Amino acid sequence: MTTVARKHEDEAVMAHLLRRAGFGATRDQIDQYVARGYEETVEDLLNPSHGEPEDQDLMDRYFIASVEARSVGHADPQWSWRLATSEKPLEEKIALFWHSLLAVGGIKLDHGLEMLTEIELFRRVGLGSFRTILFEISRNPGMMYWLDNQNSHKDAPNENYGRELLELFSMGIDDMGEGDYTEDDVKTAARAFTGWASKPTPPPFFLGPFPMEFRFDASDHDNGEKSFLGETGNFDGENIIDIIVKKRATARFIAMRLYLYFVSDEPDDEEIERLTDVFQETDGDIRSILRSLFNSDHFKSAAVRFHKVKSPAELVFGAARLTDRFDIPDMDSSLLANQSLFMGQHLLNPPGVEGWHEGEEWVDSGSLIERINFAASELGRVEAPGIRRMIELVELAGDDLQPEEFVEACLDAMGSIDLDNGSKAVLVEHAGQSGSMGSADRIVEMFQLIVSTPDYQYC
Amino acid sequence: MGLENFSYSHTIGIASFLGRGFMNPVDVRLDSEGLLFVLSRSNAANKDVRVSVQTLDSEYMYEFGRWGTDPGQTTQPTAIVLDGDDRVYVPDEFMHNVSIFDREGKFLKRWGEFGAGVGQFNRPSGIAIDSDGNPHIVDHLNARVQKLSPDGKFISSFGTFGTEPGQFNFPWGISIDSEDGIWIADWRNDRVQRFTPDGEFVSMLGSSGSSDGQFDRPSGVHVASDGTVFIADWRNDRVQVFGQDGSHTETLIGDATLSKWCQEFLDVNPEQASWRENAGLFEQEKRFWRPAAIETSSDGLVLIADSCRHRIQIYNRASVLAEV
Repeated sequence: MTTVARKHEDEAVMAHLLRRAGFGATRDQIDQYVARGYEETVEDLLNPSHGEPEDQDLMDRYFIASVEARSVGHADPQWSWRLATSEKPLEEKIALFWHSLLAVGGIKLDHGLEMLTEIELFRRVGLGSFRTILFEISRNPGMMYWLDNQNSHKDAPNENYGRELLELFSMGIDDMGEGDYTEDDVKTAARAFTGWASKPTPPPFFLGPFPMEFRFDASDHDNGEKSFLGETGNFDGENIIDIIVKKRATARFIAMRLYLYFVSDEPDDEEIERLTDVFQETDGDIRSILRSLFNSDHFKSAAVRFHKVKSPAELVFGAARLTDRFDIPDMDSSLLANQSLFMGQHLLNPPGVEGWHEGEEWVDSGSLIERINFAASELGRVEAPGIRRMIELVELAGDDLQPEEFVEACLDAMGSIDLDNGSKAVLVEHAGQSGSMGSADRIVEMFQLIVSTPDYQYC
Repeated sequence: MGLENFSYSHTIGIASFLGRGFMNPVDVRLDSEGLLFVLSRSNAANKDVRVSVQTLDSEYMYEFGRWGTDPGQTTQPTAIVLDGDDRVYVPDEFMHNVSIFDREGKFLKRWGEFGAGVGQFNRPSGIAIDSDGNPHIVDHLNARVQKLSPDGKFISSFGTFGTEPGQFNFPWGISIDSEDGIWIADWRNDRVQRFTPDGEFVSMLGSSGSSDGQFDRPSGVHVASDGTVFIADWRNDRVQVFGQDGSHTETLIGDATLSKWCQEFLDVNPEQASWRENAGLFEQEKRFWRPAAIETSSDGLVLIADSCRHRIQIYNRASVLAEV
């Protein structure tokens, strides 16, 4: 490989990493990350310093109702702002992953503040041990309410949480609906979680919502002996989680979900088995699994680039971040979550306990129009600093570019993205048919055409 | 610990998207006849903004300035003040202007546009009126205070961005004392600064923190007619009180009881009342959550906009009561 080709490949791989571990990156950011090095960038992404963002006070000031968010709609401005501006993109991306996998539905809960608390929980522990994640979500008052553990008593256990814990949150089921556990294991898990609930709070209708809190009621907990997945003891919920996380089925299920989320919509059995091994070797350390995933030749290969459908959140916040126009919370930033909703992903309100169905299911004729219109609108913001910089980069590529060079310069300026040869040929033909390619209007028009291609729906 | 110089009186308010009640009240003012004007901020996208008018006995009267960008509407209102003729001024940080209404809520005019020039604003926030009837507007992203004439003509301005004395960092509230001294809640510098009527720096109160005399993003400042200084210590969820000499005298953390409107709501919704009883968070219910602004009356009332609890908590000042 020539030096130029090597450089191009390094940039393409880095751009790929930043699309998957975040929401994409600008051309300048890619250059900075390439200079830092691939593995070093992976480490930076995997090890964000967690804490209150410096601009949290501004967010709260301009959107005071989101401080005590009574509904998902009131909470939206908070997460929209983080998704649009966070400099810790994997922290937000992993929160989005767990938000769909360990889904709590905002409509039933009807407590925007608790939904934000849950997202913050995922930011805090989402890259750590899966045991911790499972333990903390099992003590999450919103989850307890959502899956009816309020109604699970030692004399009458409610199986909802125990069942979803096994089926959807950890061990999973196969295509035939079978898991590596029995119906008796579900019932035992339900018994072990009796007494785990959320504290009652006053209704929100006169003073607004109150923060939810977890409550363990020892008097309502089943202390009897239990047999679960082949082990017997006086198990409580924590013991159940300890047993679950040691099972290979759990390791495989989480490896599969991470693969589908970060790598490809089509599972690769060999790679998933390898990640399953990493899960078991590291006691389910999500950071270690992702390190292995991102650094693998499989992840870096051209075969998986642009073969994963962007979720609405990835498309909306990816395009918005390209504009680099959000330096202070405002009405525009607060409404970005609405765009994701229009495309089928209502953030803070997954459609059910299964979360969102991803991949090709994201796109239908209606959502496709929303996706194209939104992306074209964002890329048409000629006053936005990010768009101005992209125009400048194309102009710097030369003032007498040939159509093919012009299209390549635009693709590069947009963050080293690529199109298949068919789409590219159409754009090249268009570029060659109309006047000067050097004007800002023509450059922006090409940006908008690029985001209107089918290829742009993939990351 | 009991209060030394104050006694809790009562609370007005209930969370409400329109009509009777408030949604994130960020400012509160009394008019010349003692009517209570409350500005509900809400989230702009939720469209529950408005100025509502009620008596101190919780009799709801009317509202105006609801959501929108047309004349007579507000989108992201930040503060209110009434002039000597009870005209109501409402800065709006989305439209970068100030709308003016008569006492009944009839729209009269609006001033300003986006920009950094004279008479232009970049997210105006607090507003106060001096003894000559001149509005002073905190032009917060321009890090300055603009003084306008009663008919909206630019007179002067002071302030620049920074952390030095006399500079501002996302200032919010403003109060003008009985000698036309200007007090600014220098929000992101965690301090309150005092200026002469001409904008010359005089002194400042506070530093970052949660001890007495420290602040975490002070949003509102109010200087009572006797010189007592009230500061809404926004992220510390309290109101601190200072004497004329700048010494800290007392801290209010919220003592709310159920308002008349809340009690009526619970009376006709017994399930909700039962739910509340079962939760039993009565102490938590009393406390401020992001108190944003303060108003006082000549007869000793102290009114505090408790923005995330959708109510106005009202105290009596013992010293003023004794004089009255």
